[in-house]
Amino acid sequence: MRNLILLFTTLLLTSSCVAVREYDMIYLNDAEMQLGAKGTERFETNFQIYREASAGANGGKTGGGCGCN
Amino acid sequence: MNLSPHYAILCFFLLSHLLFFGQQTGATYTKRVLESSEIDFLFSYYEQDGNNAAVTGGEGTEELTDATSTIVLRVPINENDVLTVDVGLSAYTSASSSNVNPLDGSNPNVNPFDASSGQSRQDLLAYINPSYQHSSPDRNTIWSINAYFSDEYDYTSIGFGGSYTRLFNEKNTEVSISTRVFLDRWDAIYPIELRPGFFDDRIVGNGSYDPSLNLFDNEDRNSYSLSLNFSQILGKRLQGALFADVVSQNGLLSTPFQRVYFGDVEDFFIDDFQLGDDVERLPDTRIKLPIGGRLNYFLNDIVVLRSYYRFYWDDWGIVSHTASLEAPVKLSDKFTIYPNYRFYTQTAADYFFEKEAALSTFEFYTSDYDLSNYEAHQYGMGIQYKDIFANAKVLSFGLKSIDLRFNQYDRSDGLNAFILTLGTTFVGN
Repeated sequence: MRNLILLFTTLLLTSSCVAVREYDMIYLNDAEMQLGAKGTERFETNFQIYREASAGANGGKTGGGCGCN
Repeated sequence: MNLSPHYAILCFFLLSHLLFFGQQTGATYTKRVLESSEIDFLFSYYEQDGNNAAVTGGEGTEELTDATSTIVLRVPINENDVLTVDVGLSAYTSASSSNVNPLDGSNPNVNPFDASSGQSRQDLLAYINPSYQHSSPDRNTIWSINAYFSDEYDYTSIGFGGSYTRLFNEKNTEVSISTRVFLDRWDAIYPIELRPGFFDDRIVGNGSYDPSLNLFDNEDRNSYSLSLNFSQILGKRLQGALFADVVSQNGLLSTPFQRVYFGDVEDFFIDDFQLGDDVERLPDTRIKLPIGGRLNYFLNDIVVLRSYYRFYWDDWGIVSHTASLEAPVKLSDKFTIYPNYRFYTQTAADYFFEKEAALSTFEFYTSDYDLSNYEAHQYGMGIQYKDIFANAKVLSFGLKSIDLRFNQYDRSDGLNAFILTLGTTFVGN
């Protein structure tokens, strides 16, 4: 946990090293560049939660809400 | 005091000029978070098979089919706020679940590799998940709240949560924190032969069958999660994100109808079906720590590379690695294909035992192969049709996109599955 907090703090402090202007974000704003999962991928995430022992860190359920592991 | 006409006209123009600029300075245009209502219709069909059913102690058919329909409605309340309502219905049939009670069907010879035709073969799950999101006028702060309710035959879930997101560094950096609570409850259903008062004169074995099941006195299951997300633009074509969760669960974390067979207890049968010695017993607490990251790279106008990696650890002894790569390929301005591959590997839980490997003196045990050591490969393809102008109309809604995905999932313990997903998005006028 301490290492995780240190990692996030380091990332936060170094984040201002790169600043792409909004008018230069034409590639970054492409729909395929979005960092979240698509709506249709949720069903794949759901069956993975049922069939695998691990979950989380992907925007889906992390535990609870189902009679799964 | 009398003003000359020229002076009056000059004052009039100066005053109206100031008023005009004053109005312009005050009148700024803020782009709406969501321009118009959108509705998604999502459908999936899932099918699997294997030979290590947990309901029959790690040996038996895992045949299962699931059909799920979901509707997601997003409505702009005003220029800053969006209300989303997500409702779904899932109908599944499961050969292994039918063997919770293999004696209620019409099978002439009961065995774990055949499904019972009784009531426990199928079930229906319904859920609703509303959420509300507010963005600040400068779009640098976003908060949201959500609720969740689902119900199926033996499991009910109530959940709620919220999130706070902050963008800075000219929207190059995004940090968010979210939390979620689930207050769930089992309505425990035990294997038929382990229920109090069970009797059947077809039982064969050495001695007398007397499992003496200890019923679970607490059927609640509570889950609490805290998530930290950090995303950063790394260049004009590259951006990435880190996700970290801390999850704590307590209560009934076992599945009440999953059998376990002990190696130091005599075996008893009805036909070819071995009667259980107990149900799985797992600790009533669990801590999970997944941490994952995404890296997306805009290779060129045709191909984008989307990668993902996750490391997972929990205090049940499970460590897993997940890695996936998807490469959207734009065939035209309307059609895109999505070849993808995912690799997954996990170690076994400390309490996992193959059939007959656990002893009756152990405190915790399970024969659920979802908690065993295995690798899994998932590969597939998707295709999307997208029309940003939504020219095709259905009633008064414009068709924005259609997505079709197919994925094959193969596990090293013999479980195989596939999933077919169809999604459509419509926008209101």
